[in-house]
Parts: sequence; C-alpha cells; structure tokens
Amino acid sequence: MSDNKEAKKAPKPDITFFHPDLLIVPENGDPPYLQGYRCKSCGNLDFPKPTLCWNCWGEEFEIVPLSRTGVLYSVTDIFIGQAGMKTPYVFGYIDLPENLRVFAQMEGEPGSFKCDDKVELTIGPIRTNRDGLPITSYKFRKIAV
Amino acid sequence: MKLMRDVYIAGVGETKFGKHSVDYDVLGRAAALEAMRNSNINRPDVVQSAYVGNGMNGIVTGQTVFKDLGMCGRLPIINVESACSAGGMAVYSAIKDVATGVTDISLGVGCENHSLHMQSGTAFAPSMSDIETMHAAVMTGKYAMRANRYMHETGTTIEDLAAITVKNRRHATNNPNAWFKGAITIEEVVNSRMVAYPLTLQQCCGIADGAGAVVVCTKEMAAKLGVQKPVKVAGAVVQSGPYHNRPRDITGDDITETCAEQLYEESGIGPEDVNIVELHDAFTIAELLYYECLGLCKKGDGLKYLRDGDSTYGGKCVVSPRGGMLSYGHPIGASGAAQIAACVKQLRGECQGFQVDPIPRVAMTHVTGGGLSGTEHAACTMHMLVSAW
Ligand SMILES: [Zn+2]
Repeated sequence: MSDNKEAKKAPKPDITFFHPDLLIVPENGDPPYLQGYRCKSCGNLDFPKPTLCWNCWGEEFEIVPLSRTGVLYSVTDIFIGQAGMKTPYVFGYIDLPENLRVFAQMEGEPGSFKCDDKVELTIGPIRTNRDGLPITSYKFRKIAV
Repeated sequence: MKLMRDVYIAGVGETKFGKHSVDYDVLGRAAALEAMRNSNINRPDVVQSAYVGNGMNGIVTGQTVFKDLGMCGRLPIINVESACSAGGMAVYSAIKDVATGVTDISLGVGCENHSLHMQSGTAFAPSMSDIETMHAAVMTGKYAMRANRYMHETGTTIEDLAAITVKNRRHATNNPNAWFKGAITIEEVVNSRMVAYPLTLQQCCGIADGAGAVVVCTKEMAAKLGVQKPVKVAGAVVQSGPYHNRPRDITGDDITETCAEQLYEESGIGPEDVNIVELHDAFTIAELLYYECLGLCKKGDGLKYLRDGDSTYGGKCVVSPRGGMLSYGHPIGASGAAQIAACVKQLRGECQGFQVDPIPRVAMTHVTGGGLSGTEHAACTMHMLVSAW
C-alpha cells in the first residue's frame, strides 16, 4: 500500500523516443526506417498507425517498412515557434513512394530546402521533454548529391 | 444545413478588436447586449436560446457572459468550441434552433480574450497529443508551407503576398472596430519580422481580443420587434475537415471547397452573385488561395484577381471590406461571429467611411478552425446573407 503511494508520488520519467510503433532504429547499425501499417482485410497502407483501418475498420495490420527516401512537397523555416522550442527550426511535408505524406522536422540549415528536394530519413532530437532531455524521432535531410 | 423555415438576422453587435484589459465575458456581454438592443430587445426574457463560441478561456464561458444580464435561468446556454470556427458555429447553432422551430429567436456570440491568457512570443499549436504538434508544428508554419508550394508552382512572390495586407489595412482605414489599419507599404510588410518563411509578422493576423454577436429569429418575430432591415440567412454550412495521410494539393483547401459548394447549392446563390466576403485571412496566403477555393476566380487565377483589383472596393467582389483578420486581429472564438456582424452592417449601409458602394445585397462569410494532423483545418463554417427589405 505505502509502496503504491510512493510510486504515485514520483513522476514517471517522460519519453525520450518517439514513437516505437512508428520508427525503428535497428541495433545492428542498419539505417532507421518508418513502419507502415497494411490492413489485412482491404490492403490499405497507412502511416501513422490508425486505431482501425480508415477504409474498412479492419483491426489487423501487417507491418511494412516504408521507403527511406522521398520528395519534399513543401517546407518552411520557423522563426516564432511553439513555446519552449529553440528557433529557427525547419519542418516540411515529405511524400513517400508508397503514396503517403509524412510531416517531419528537417535536419539542415534554414533556407537550404526547397520544394521537390529529394530527402532521406534520419533520426534526431525534435524537442525537449518535461525532464529537460531531448526526444528522438524521425527527421529528414537532403540527400547529398 | 437544410433550412426548414426562413431565418432572419434581427441585429448584430461587435466590440473593438485589439488588446483589452477586460476579460472575454465583458467583451461577449458588450457585443451580446449591442446585438439585442440593435434588435429592439429591451428585456432579459426575449431570447430563447444562446450559443457562445470561445476557444481558450475556460469552461462555462456562456453562462459567465450572461449571468450579469439577468438571462441565466431563462434560457438554455450552450458553449461551442472549434478553435477559430467557434464564433461562426455559435451563430450557426442559433440559426439551427430557429430553422427547426426549437425557438423563434436565438443568439449566437463569439468572444475571446487572448492577451490576458497567453504567453507572448509563442505561436498557436493544436494539442500535444497530435503527432504533428509533437514534431513542433505551428499554424503559421502550416500556412507557410501552403505559401511556399503556391509560390513554387505559380511564381508568386513575397511582395505579391504582402499586397493582401496592404489592401486589407487600406479597407480598414475608417473602420472604428479594426485594430491595425491605414497605409502600409509592400516593403514594410516584407521587411517586418520573419515568423515562418515566407510569412512575415505583417502578413499574420494579430493575436487580439474581441467579441461579436448575432440575433436570429423568424420573420414574424422580426416584424414583432420592429426590425427595419432584417437580413435573410440564405444558407449556413458547417463541415469537419477530411483526414488525409496521402499526398494532396495544399494550394487548394478541400474543406473550404466542399463547404462553399454546399453553401452555393443550398442558397441558390453562386459566387458571381456575391457582393462582399469576409473570409479567413489569418495569413496573406490564405486570402489568395480562398479566392480560388470559393470560386470567385478560376484555380490558378488568384493573383490575377488580386492584381486586377477584383477583390477591393469597385471590384467584382469586395473581399475583407472590414479589413479582415489582417486588420482586426483574430480572437479565435470571436472572429466568426464578428465577420457576420460586419457583413450585416455593410448590407444595412451603416459603414460610414468604408461603405461598399453600391450598397451590397449579398454577403458571404467563411471561417475555418483549428489544426489537426492530416487536415487542412478541423472545421469550416460559412454563411450566406441577403438583404430582405
Ligand atoms: Zn481496411
């Protein structure tokens, strides 16, 4: 009983990784990738993971690794951002060959991106958590030419 | 919505927009009282239901607005929230009560005070449970991405976008309720502080406080109250934003296009018949895209429409005659109701110093609401208003 009380008092540490269902970083050093969810009833492929298939309400999904490269559909440099975010930072919409659009922060200098740039998945800090530690998630960067 | 019987606007009220040291309830009360007096209502027991739109000021906002008017206990008060669409939705809900016969007279209010409640120097963002918000999305950035794509595809420049601010501030010059108004140059707009490239500070609506209110009723009630210039509600539409996780064209706006199409169909009024529009010009790019989405011009012709002067006084359709959100600022819960109030005043010819000439007969309002990952907006509310005298 008193143990329980103690556990309640101590705040749970905030997350430092976003989000194990969506982003896989292999331990063997292979490149990270995003996970798509293919509905086993209708074949719809979605990202991020839906509660139910939006097409048919199917509940079972096959996990499909998504392409690590895509096209930057649009992008912007943010100079006045969310409370607590260090500025400037850059985010954009990345279109993947699987006919999926992903919103993500970009790794690279503000002013260095333009629409239709070829980009690739990487990982990096996206914000600071409640404990002051960086949260790692997927980001995209320009493919070196 | 299908209007099951005719609904008329009896009266409207609005406060000045800008920074206020009094809270949302004082603002909402002032606008509501003005709207009721404007409808020749001089007692607390006339209005039969009230809807109050508010975004961020807390709970039981409507009851807080009305308790000091002796109205609580006499009518149902329902609080409405859908971020920037809240005020428009409150009026929509009041219209619905009258249209369905639930009441003969109802009141829609939108009110908001941001400056007493918000940390300055930060940008609006949807809730942290949203996957895009987690990745540091802000509303300015989502519009900035639309701007960058539009510029990429059409060759539009930042100077072109800035011309929207210049136009709307000019419209607002003599409007006593507008906040930022008068002459500003393209250079001043472009050289103001960068917020989210290519949107500079002067291309973004200010974070303001204010309120608007609209009394709606049946034809019989309008006559009974002795309303001289009743404005007919020819159409009222609310939509929720469709969700996508697939590539789509963000230089369009699916929810606005759907909403407009429905409004035109239900009202039997086409875009070519609309004389004035107050739309969601929270950012310069938005007004430019909405010329196209609302069918005021063809897809891709937005910039030409602006440059040809079609959207200003003397043009085909005066867009943002009150100065729009770029002049009023945008208290999110208030704007939708205030747009309707401003349009009614134009239709009634009460806008000395900024009256559209000839006096318009048909006005349209458009307000979107809220960010949510995978949608352009979480909500959209539109109204079509016609002179009925
Ligand atoms: Zn399915």
